[in-house]
Amino acid sequence: MIKLMKTTFALFAALTLASAALAVETGKPAPDFTGTDINGKTVKLSDYKGKIVVIESYNSDCPFCNNQYKTGAMQELQNDLASKGVVWLLVNSVNPNNSSHRTPDQAKQEIAEKKIVATAWLDDSSGAVGHLYGMKTTPHMFVVDKDGTLAYAGAIDDKPTPNHDPKTARNYVREAVDALITGKPVPVAQTKPYGCSVKYAD
Amino acid sequence: MRRIGTILAGWICLAAIAAHAAHTQARLILSADTAKPGDIIWAGVDLKMEPGWHTYWKNPGAAGYATKIEWQLPPGVTAGDIQWPLPEKLPPAEVATYGYDNEIVLLVSLKLAANLKPGPLDLKAKVSWLECKEACIPGSASVQATLNIGTETKTSGDAATIQSWQGKVPKSGDSLSASAHWTKPANDDTRQLAIEFSPSPKPNGADFFPDANDNFEIQAETKWGTGEETEKAWLFKPVKKYSGDWPKEISGVIVMESSGGARSGFNVKFPISDQAPAGETISTSPESRAGVSPVRAGETPALLSMLLYAFIGGLILNIMPCVLPVIALKILGFVGEARSEPRHARKLGLVYALGVLVSFIALAAVVIGVKAAGHRAGWGMQFGSPVFVVCLTTLVMLVALNLFGVFEVTLGGRALDATGGLASKHGAAGAFFNGVLATALATPCTAPFLSIALGFAFAQKAPVILLMFLAVGVGLAAPYVVLSWNPAWLKFLPKPGAWMEKFKIAMGFPMLATAVWLFNLAAGSYGKSVLWLGVFLVVVAFAAWIFGEFVQRGRARKGLALVIALILLVGGYAYALESQLRWREPVTEADATGSLKESAEGIDWQRWSPEAVAKARSEGRPVIVDFTADWCLTCQVNKKTSIEIPSVRAKLKSLNAVALLGDYTRFPDNITTELNRFSRAGVPLVLVYPKNPEAQPIVLPEILTPGIVLDALDRAVR
Repeated sequence: MIKLMKTTFALFAALTLASAALAVETGKPAPDFTGTDINGKTVKLSDYKGKIVVIESYNSDCPFCNNQYKTGAMQELQNDLASKGVVWLLVNSVNPNNSSHRTPDQAKQEIAEKKIVATAWLDDSSGAVGHLYGMKTTPHMFVVDKDGTLAYAGAIDDKPTPNHDPKTARNYVREAVDALITGKPVPVAQTKPYGCSVKYAD
Repeated sequence: MRRIGTILAGWICLAAIAAHAAHTQARLILSADTAKPGDIIWAGVDLKMEPGWHTYWKNPGAAGYATKIEWQLPPGVTAGDIQWPLPEKLPPAEVATYGYDNEIVLLVSLKLAANLKPGPLDLKAKVSWLECKEACIPGSASVQATLNIGTETKTSGDAATIQSWQGKVPKSGDSLSASAHWTKPANDDTRQLAIEFSPSPKPNGADFFPDANDNFEIQAETKWGTGEETEKAWLFKPVKKYSGDWPKEISGVIVMESSGGARSGFNVKFPISDQAPAGETISTSPESRAGVSPVRAGETPALLSMLLYAFIGGLILNIMPCVLPVIALKILGFVGEARSEPRHARKLGLVYALGVLVSFIALAAVVIGVKAAGHRAGWGMQFGSPVFVVCLTTLVMLVALNLFGVFEVTLGGRALDATGGLASKHGAAGAFFNGVLATALATPCTAPFLSIALGFAFAQKAPVILLMFLAVGVGLAAPYVVLSWNPAWLKFLPKPGAWMEKFKIAMGFPMLATAVWLFNLAAGSYGKSVLWLGVFLVVVAFAAWIFGEFVQRGRARKGLALVIALILLVGGYAYALESQLRWREPVTEADATGSLKESAEGIDWQRWSPEAVAKARSEGRPVIVDFTADWCLTCQVNKKTSIEIPSVRAKLKSLNAVALLGDYTRFPDNITTELNRFSRAGVPLVLVYPKNPEAQPIVLPEILTPGIVLDALDRAVR
């Protein structure tokens, strides 16, 4: 009887963990992906090997995301990291039927208006990259090390609200990138992402 | 002019902002109009959301933001913590959140100091929330209410509202004696937690809504099971750790759903141990989707009435098109015999019943085994296996040839010669085999009553599954057992004679038709190379003729004829089936996309998915969903007579309805889940979702008429 019970438990465990293992893990290679940016250019993660890459799950209509941008905190981080040679990929997985979807032209306008500093804005309206990385919220942040290892996954900072001042919060992405640049271990490798749910296609 | 334009633009912007913030209305209500100093009264922050919009629980889940209340209270009034009524788990499953639809009243106790002076008090609060539908918008409102301090407590008009919401706040879960343990040592960031508790009575569904924590996340996915010997239940939740150590203690709400669909929550807090307690077997529930809501689609009916349904369903199976040709003949044969040799006929009747029952026990064993292995089981699922279909096609063709008199079957040691026909004695083994064949052919047919009963059965524990299957078997076998014991009831049949031989041959044709239908099923798995199955069938038929003509009825060189027949069989098998058809490695069809329209003017079927249903409903369009399968004859008949017909086509078009087709031929898991949600074990299942996205879908009966479908569509737009 005990044996049967153990088998049942093991079975449950296997089933549950199998599904949970789909999301990416820090300390392991970050899955490669190919996407198209708003200029129609093909963007491939592995092309940036040798550089630190920040991936941001983006939707500026989401108040949590918008809080980072309207305060200028996100642009400040983007500028700072760009000067250090860091690649910034903005992934927009909002489906085309959602009012928060952006056409390439609207996206270009938004970049100009908000003064976003990103290497590329990926049109991920199919949700392919979002699902691959298990992006749950906007913003959901990822930092990939020069050798392609996922170094950080989670929240942008330690204040999960849509109305705090991000400049006073502890920014996990800045911390992770700074640690990677100086060759130190990343202090916090993962946190619970917060924000709005990603508006994936059905 | 330009200035006017600017003003106008600004004005439009303001209007847009105002409209945006209006998806949720907030107000403050109090349980009392007048209260005495020293009283404790209840305040409620009532949030009314527009349809489709929701706000969040204290733990919003994977996304979202908990509603916050900031009180501005006069001295002497102290607010307690928010009491949160039980939330719902909100889709999508990939980013599950906890929150509230339509309306929520968040409850807060207000303690009045003993030294408060009489007179009116202004109670104010700033409420902020995140409201989400397609997009998320932060909202906030200042709410206010006045309380009189007097010498007597007077309840307010809102007291009843507050009381009813208090009933929805989770109660103490101490009586559940909940505990938890890890099912495995930790080796990465995700680990499974098993929560054990003792519910009374056993719930229909259970879930655990955790309190929020920054260091780890108890994810939304839930599996649950109940104990077989004691009143224990288990919940299994994956836990993802973000930082720090694995938690030693967790808290949250155990949610249970009663058989009537009512949900209740129980606050629990317990330490997590590394070791499983010594326990007992867990029977797994088929319900492994996130949340407890799916059981709401149907109530669990009593076992006895379900057994009755199973029995009636089994009875009706006898006249379903897939079964009728097989049994009508052979069994009527030995029943006819009852006039001359009643005892022998009775015996054969019972042996036939035994064959049916043994087959049903085998089916039940398979279902129990499949379920134990963690898969979904469905009625007729063996037709999803191409190997099974090939074997059955061959078998059914041989039965047809046998009916045509090409060869005889010598089961039970007695040859039935063609001239003796049905009037000759039948072997017991033959009767048993008939029982097995009847069952094998019965499975693609779902008779009325049967699907309800099986839907119930498939969700039960092993003994109940067995009992339900036996009830179907008894139903299937009953008419012939009864007739073999009461041959007097067969007076309407003509006396045995030459007509029986003609009848036998005539019944070979429906059998042949069955073979063609099975062949068509095989085509789905093998594509164009199904030709080689046809070649194989011809070779087998030829071998059967040689066997019948030269071995069974021949005079000389029987040995040679037998060798030729065997060479044909083996050669045909090795060449056609093994080397050409590769029958054990069927090609899998690529999933087709886009419209599944059958003809130019046919219904514009789209592939079914829960998301497709949700999308159509969010657009306010009625939806018809047809869950069907190539091997489901009832489904095909329904489609021909009542769905793919001009009047229904026209109706769908005029209602701007969305038609979704769920193909169950190969048992996709998501359709099994959906069928289980409507307490069905198999297809057909036809649903009509009303235009109003809040309304429950209309479940159509198994056997349709045009009137039923048209009427349901009319109701859907009312």
